[in-house]
Amino acid sequence: MLFILALLLAYGCQERADESRRDTATIVFKHGKMAGDPRSFRALLDRFEQENPGLRVRDETLPSSTDEQHQFYAINLQAKSRDFDVLSLDVIWVSAFARAGWIKDISHLITPGERQSFFPGPLEAVTFNDRVYAIPWYIDAGVLYYRKDLLEKYSLPVPRTWQELAATAREISSREKGIYGYLWQGRQYEGLVCNALEFIWSNGGEILEQGRPVINAPRNAEALTFMADLIGKYGVSPPLVTTATEEPTRELFGSGKAVFMRNWPYAWALYNRPGAVLRSKVGIAPLPSFPGHESASTLGGWQLGVNRYSPNPNAAEKLVRFLTSPESQKRLALAVGYNPARRALYKDPDLLREHPGIASLYAIFMKARPRPVTPYYLMITQVLQPEFSAAISEIKNPEAALASAQQQVSRILEMEQ
Amino acid sequence: MNPPPTDRGTPFVAPALVLLSLITLYPVLSVLALSLLHKLPLFGISRFAGLENYRFLLTDDRFWNAFRNTVYFAAVSVSLELLLGLALALLLNRTFPFKGIATAIVLVPWAIPTVVSARMWEWMYNTDLGILNHLLGVKINWLGSPFWALNAAVFMDVWKTTPFTVILLLAGLRVIPRELLQAARIDGAGAWQLFSRITLPMLMPVILVVLIFRTLDAFRVFDAVYVLTGGGPANTTETLSVYAYKVLFQTLQFGYGSTLSVVVFLCVGAISVLYIRLLGRAGQ
Repeated sequence: MLFILALLLAYGCQERADESRRDTATIVFKHGKMAGDPRSFRALLDRFEQENPGLRVRDETLPSSTDEQHQFYAINLQAKSRDFDVLSLDVIWVSAFARAGWIKDISHLITPGERQSFFPGPLEAVTFNDRVYAIPWYIDAGVLYYRKDLLEKYSLPVPRTWQELAATAREISSREKGIYGYLWQGRQYEGLVCNALEFIWSNGGEILEQGRPVINAPRNAEALTFMADLIGKYGVSPPLVTTATEEPTRELFGSGKAVFMRNWPYAWALYNRPGAVLRSKVGIAPLPSFPGHESASTLGGWQLGVNRYSPNPNAAEKLVRFLTSPESQKRLALAVGYNPARRALYKDPDLLREHPGIASLYAIFMKARPRPVTPYYLMITQVLQPEFSAAISEIKNPEAALASAQQQVSRILEMEQ
Repeated sequence: MNPPPTDRGTPFVAPALVLLSLITLYPVLSVLALSLLHKLPLFGISRFAGLENYRFLLTDDRFWNAFRNTVYFAAVSVSLELLLGLALALLLNRTFPFKGIATAIVLVPWAIPTVVSARMWEWMYNTDLGILNHLLGVKINWLGSPFWALNAAVFMDVWKTTPFTVILLLAGLRVIPRELLQAARIDGAGAWQLFSRITLPMLMPVILVVLIFRTLDAFRVFDAVYVLTGGGPANTTETLSVYAYKVLFQTLQFGYGSTLSVVVFLCVGAISVLYIRLLGRAGQ
């Protein structure tokens, strides 16, 4: 039995070696599940194969959960796997993978002049020690969804500050039956950190400053207190937000049960589908801020990098360049609605005709901020998640939660010394 | 004439032994070795640290919190599963119409994969859309309150794994000779006496087997909690396996993560030894 297994294994490996000996090479591209019809993405890859005779692309889909994708890459890259060449990277992984030496420095793929054509947030996220390790593919950022029809009915403006949002939400939800004020994501997970950072940044707060933790600060405490107050004191967010992720809030808002919601831009297309309850009743705006500060959105989205152990780095780089080109990003936006990481496409007439919503996203993406760009981020977020969760569920007061987070993050940052 | 009892078996067993030790022993040893390292592949750090990780563990509040949660989860869920399972098994051991259908219904939760049932329960526990609050006419934030969240996970686990205890206990009940019960009844024993003097003692070995399986499973609980709450709010539902997973695979601290896994392994080992001793005594 073992012998047969070994034979099979040997045969399997053999085949790949043969393939690379011929003049066609196969590039393996790993990525999370793509939205929409898989054929449209395959068509894009077929195009690449036509333009590059001799190169073939095999795309392999990983489980849809981001955590599982991270686990897959970590285990395989740690073991110096040569089984895949191109990988899609969440915005928070790039500096860690670069620090570990798992992904190739591909700075030469973007000329300094070309850098300006990407949004600044993703560019910051893919840069580690002044070198570029991945190319932004598509972009995401936290946005405010609001009910256009309800704001018009009560002739109230789209809120610019958090206090205005709380007041408007309370006003409308007290007069309309069975409707919540403001929905956001507060379960103990990465999404909570995204939400909390938007409150913290929009109050002038920070997590790291020049690599040092500045978590235990009055501005951060104010922001967290406000989050807890949204549920408690103001009563505009239902307690369910402390267990909510994106999908339940999207469903609740989509069934007309809330005035405002924080979410990623993906919900927009779903709300405007033919036959949807809220079709053309939903608006998108930048998230509010605290008085005297600027609105801030947490950056999300995916980048493409090259496996450092790839047997075929040149071909892999070609594929990365192709998929992140303006043409490919445009095709992907048209086919499955992924928002391009290149700024110029937001003025593209075809795209604007197909997805009019992207015009209002441009300003938000320009200001979207990456979560602290450091290889320590994955450890830092494991500290922030439970502490933020404790603060919004009133298990700890915000000051205590931040003091504890500050202490733990300091210890993490000393780890390397 | 019988052949003399020589050691002819060893060569035949050897391949299986080698395979087994490759499959089970190697990973265990390598985790043990990892647990003695300060290993952070992200930073290219890998050096021998001796018992440093274990010393840190003793002062790690998050570990003790996870440990308490795990012990609570295992103790409460296993007791409830045993009691409920026993009651259902006694019921199903009687004859009544549609018994086959009733047995099948009882087994349904066990047939659903944990991740699926956890997702299902997540929606049922939802404060607004969930059926639980709707039926009870309350507005409890089941998964968001530090008191309810862990109990909600326990409840789901009880729902999910009681069928398992029912199957095993039912098998145990079936082998109790009917003559014994009939004889006792003729001698004038009441229902309670029948149960406490005959059924329960004869069922003891099966009960211990159930306890071993369930306690070990409950102590390593991962998917139910991870899907339901992710450890929140504020780590009030974080169990040892969930913490170890986060340290190992999300923050990639291979050394300390392995230390946590070793501790889970040691706890589970200690529990098994305890039960096996009890089982040995019950068997006598």
